[in-house]
Amino acid sequence: MAATTDARPERTAQVRIHLTTRSDDIQLPETGPILVPTELRRYQLSTLVNRLLETTQPVPLEFLINGQFLRTSLDEFLTQNGISAETTVNVEYVRALIPPLHVASYEHDDWVSSVDVLSNTAKAIRMQESKRKALYAPRILSGSYDGMLRIWNESSEVVATGTAHTSAVKAAKFLTPTVVVSAGIDRTVRIWKHDYAETGYEKGSLAPTLELYGHKSSIENLAVHTRTSRILSASSDHTIGLWSNRKNDLPAAAESLLPIANKRRKLSNAQQCPQRGPLSLLQGHQSQVSDVCFDEKDDTVAYSSSWDHTVKTWDLTTSACVDTRTTSQSLFSICHLSDAGLLATGTSARHISLIDPRASATTISAMTLRGHTNAVVSLAEDPRSPHQLVSSSHDGTCRVWDLRSVKQGSGTERTGESVYVIERNSAKGRTKRPEAGDGVKVFGVCWDSTVGIVSGGEDKMVQINKGGE
Amino acid sequence: MAQRAGQKRKVVEVPRPQPDPQEEDELDAVALNGALEDNDSEEESEGSEEAGLDEDEDEDELEDDEIESDEIPSSEDEEDVRAQVDKLRTNDRPNTPPAKLMGSDTAKDVSSLSPETPMKQLGQEGRKRKQLLRTEVDANGEPRYIYNEIEPNYDSDDSDFLVPTNTIGNIPLSYYDEYPHIGYDINGRRIARPAKGEALDSLLDSIDIPEGWTGLTDPNTGKPMQLSGDDLEVLKKLTRNEAPGEGYDPYPDMVEYFTGKGMEMTMPLSAAPEPKRRFVPSMHEHKRVMKMVKAIKEGRIRPYRAPTEEDKEQDDAEQDFASYDIWSNEIPRPDHPMNVPAPKLPPPGYEESYHPPPEYLPDKQEKETWETQDEEDRERDFLPQDHSALRRVPGYAKFVKDKFERCLDLYLAPRVRRSKLNIDPESLLPKLPDPNELRPFPSICTAMFKGHDGRIRSLNIDPQGRYLATGGDDGTVRVWELQTGKQLRRLRLSSSEAVNQVSWQPSRETCIIAACCGENVQFIIPQGDICNPQQDRRSREVLDSGFGYATSNPSKTAAGVDKPSSANWLRPSTTLQDKGVLLTLTLRSTPKTLAWHRRGDYFSTVSPSTAATSTAVAIHTLSKHQTQHPFRRLKGLAQTVCFHPSKPLFFVATRQRVRVYDLQQQRLEKELQPGAQWISDISLHPLGSNLLVSSYDKRLLWHDLDLAATPYKTLRYHSKAIRSVKFHPSLPLFVDGSDDGTLQVFHGNVMGDSLENATVVPLKVLRGHKVVKNLGVLDVEWHPREAWCALSGYM
Repeated sequence: MAATTDARPERTAQVRIHLTTRSDDIQLPETGPILVPTELRRYQLSTLVNRLLETTQPVPLEFLINGQFLRTSLDEFLTQNGISAETTVNVEYVRALIPPLHVASYEHDDWVSSVDVLSNTAKAIRMQESKRKALYAPRILSGSYDGMLRIWNESSEVVATGTAHTSAVKAAKFLTPTVVVSAGIDRTVRIWKHDYAETGYEKGSLAPTLELYGHKSSIENLAVHTRTSRILSASSDHTIGLWSNRKNDLPAAAESLLPIANKRRKLSNAQQCPQRGPLSLLQGHQSQVSDVCFDEKDDTVAYSSSWDHTVKTWDLTTSACVDTRTTSQSLFSICHLSDAGLLATGTSARHISLIDPRASATTISAMTLRGHTNAVVSLAEDPRSPHQLVSSSHDGTCRVWDLRSVKQGSGTERTGESVYVIERNSAKGRTKRPEAGDGVKVFGVCWDSTVGIVSGGEDKMVQINKGGE
Repeated sequence: MAQRAGQKRKVVEVPRPQPDPQEEDELDAVALNGALEDNDSEEESEGSEEAGLDEDEDEDELEDDEIESDEIPSSEDEEDVRAQVDKLRTNDRPNTPPAKLMGSDTAKDVSSLSPETPMKQLGQEGRKRKQLLRTEVDANGEPRYIYNEIEPNYDSDDSDFLVPTNTIGNIPLSYYDEYPHIGYDINGRRIARPAKGEALDSLLDSIDIPEGWTGLTDPNTGKPMQLSGDDLEVLKKLTRNEAPGEGYDPYPDMVEYFTGKGMEMTMPLSAAPEPKRRFVPSMHEHKRVMKMVKAIKEGRIRPYRAPTEEDKEQDDAEQDFASYDIWSNEIPRPDHPMNVPAPKLPPPGYEESYHPPPEYLPDKQEKETWETQDEEDRERDFLPQDHSALRRVPGYAKFVKDKFERCLDLYLAPRVRRSKLNIDPESLLPKLPDPNELRPFPSICTAMFKGHDGRIRSLNIDPQGRYLATGGDDGTVRVWELQTGKQLRRLRLSSSEAVNQVSWQPSRETCIIAACCGENVQFIIPQGDICNPQQDRRSREVLDSGFGYATSNPSKTAAGVDKPSSANWLRPSTTLQDKGVLLTLTLRSTPKTLAWHRRGDYFSTVSPSTAATSTAVAIHTLSKHQTQHPFRRLKGLAQTVCFHPSKPLFFVATRQRVRVYDLQQQRLEKELQPGAQWISDISLHPLGSNLLVSSYDKRLLWHDLDLAATPYKTLRYHSKAIRSVKFHPSLPLFVDGSDDGTLQVFHGNVMGDSLENATVVPLKVLRGHKVVKNLGVLDVEWHPREAWCALSGYM
């Protein structure tokens, strides 16, 4: 082959590339290295791979060389990174992530603390045991600092509101399409029944069915497991509550934790929900627990992050702490990446640290994703790709990360950079991001494959961003 | 002659009235001056006129010398001589008895002689002297000769008139100090003391010293001795060693060697033209040369002498001597320790060649720049030059100069080898750890709490580290969620008065905010799910427990009379109670700071503006609703206080001092002198052995309480007054906030064992806080566990 290139010197330089991928559906038949001209760019390479795959509908692809996305021509990339054109270059191709564009913003009365999405592809439906899987029009649930829960449809109308919380709601989740869980500063976890119209855009209702008492301080976050109907609550009283949505499973609530009976309030709340206590309280953290999540594969394992710099692994059957990983910063959010087997944690030190929870892991932090300029308070996994996640931060941005795009940093540290930055739409006109994310802090984010990236924040908006399909 | 001698002795007795002393002095001085002058002239004339009396003259001169040299006048001898001279001059007879007695009127002489003797002598000369003297009888009845006064006019030939001679004998003149006179003349008359002049005159004399002033006093006359111009000239010459030897004639006759008659010089140049023979070859010489040529041709003259054996030997010897190598047998010796080897030069390059390649040759511009450059600035000290052949290379022009400079170098080279210390300046700096190793520390603004109107005077984070309480000029107390910056509660305590201080009670079971607003201290249980029901109940119990105590145990003085309480503990109005304010403590003056004891039962307030210093500091007991003023009298104006975290110690900061009191022993434990003009805030390290003091004069002072009363470290980094300083409750950090709008974060590690000094490392300057109306950061506060700090200022 070299002889042929020598024979035709007027042709541009060529490089031998080896195409690989980690996605099974777009796997190429084993071809061995192929010779391509170095002037190729992403688009040409993408068409080349599509032709090799013989796809009917072209799949847009991105190309990763040594953990870096190819944004220029091959030639420029090789010279920039000092890679010899005579070696065989390993090129990994991945499905292109379309830049998420702003779709809609739903306006609230107060800051939005958390968001969740119910759609046909949402986890709450996917994990449902029943075979009867109806088709749902997407719903967006938001919890706000004014103590209200709101369920929106896609045409930015409020379908239902829930007003049982006495102060700010800090977390709200769909347990099943009909059950909503919420918690907030008033120390209660509330279970709601959401009646939705099958047809979609009609008004629904949101009625409290259960009040769960057990925490002594405000609840920061919730995690739900649909199949086992388990709810985990992370509270700032240093404990994690394990709850169920079934009234009969739960013990009675402790009297001392019930709110002081106020005559006036009692009169107004004529009909009262049953009050219950926790299945168990997981104690072990030294400081307030910021976030909690279930293991994606094993429903008896949960992970929690705390301000005391630790990530704890809990065995829910025995309610015991199995493992503790100590980092050097306060952790504000946690998310389990099932395929990579890693825990993504958002820290007060403005980065996302990927923690290996396995007992055999030698290093605590497998990877660090840097780019945020303020505390990272919420994380969500890409429902389509196990390698991507989105994070929301107090700096007023959401960032999309790809774990395959890795750079070897100083020492053993591996760092990644964000693929896309989603700014708040409300801060669009401003030339400069406000200092400390003042006014545009993002508190909650959720990624659904149907709806897109949903985030809510200090600008009293729920913002939906979606990549073009 | 005789007449003159007689005149000499004459003293005119003039009936003298006694004038006032000053006038007399003046007059006398004039008279004596004239007399001195006369004396001189007399001597001269004597010398020239009477050559025959050489001996006497000499004697006389000697006497004069003596007088000049001696202070004590020997009037007797002098008189003796004078008498002899007189006798010689006046009397022909050689054998006359000594005339000693004649002029002497000393008591001794007079007494030893019979009164007749002089008379007899006088009888012999009486006729002659009749007109010169007259005889009187003195007080003792003895005869006394009074000489006529001589008129010193021009007609008088009395050139050797002598001054009235002092006759006091061989006694010091100082005996007469207390008298107006200094002695007596020959006629027994007082010789008046010469004018000394007033003190001012003498001062003036001393200021402009007249020429010839000697500072000596003539012993005879008592007048100052002056040197004449001639004398001065002589002295001057003596001092310059210009005095010629004996026989030197200063004015010799001129001998005319070169000028004068018959010595005129004739002009050596002539205007005659050069003779022809000067330009024409000499025939004679030609002949002689030809003769020699002929002789050489014929062999009669040989141009060289054939060298003889002797000559050859001599030549060889000379040759040997010239080529003798005196160093051939030299034994090599080691270099002198101070040997300075010549600098090793780099090997020559192309440009140093006599015929360098053309690219090494400088062009015109290079040449010009080289020439215009200063010699020291030149890159090379030569210009490459091209010579077609080696033999055309001229001698090295700067050879001598180079050698001279080398010699100069050697000569000026230091003979003592100085050992230079190779110290890395970095090593002298104290070793500070890298700030990156001291993480975590606050480095970025993560949240802003917006809502207050005007200044936020105080802020405090609750013991759990979740909520932030603030109080400001708008009279409200607000509670915020620390992480997000969400305002959870707002409570208006007053519409006119500012909230000076908010502080959470340091207990985990309760949830109480103490807020100083005006003259009140309000105790607030924040509503709205900030505290849970247990905490709420416990807090209410804590606040209410004192009511029963206060009523059952009213504070009484020793006399049993109810003490007029300086503070009232009351329940606030029901509207406030609904908002969560459950207890109000009203003081008589405005409390500015409030400090809790670690257990949360005691707290102390400081009212700097109060009139009486005794009530400025108050310690309150929450559980008993008691107020005590621990100081009967406090020196200085109290600024702030704090409790020791473990010991019963109480720190009181006045404007310039920090005093430490033992509350159990009730005595002053220690007094710190930070040296600040006006202390703004103090903060005690959680271990309790170190104290930070901030001052309005831009200084931050670190006190080690185990060490001296003066600061261990002074940190002066702010450009404006420091308002507040805080140690971190658990991490080795501290932070100060200043009016220049910056926070400075320091690492301050205190060792537990007091053996090592505390390390203080500046970590970070946090900017960004706006300075409004010259007010920057008013208060700072740490999160109880994390390296997060909150600051407040003007909104």
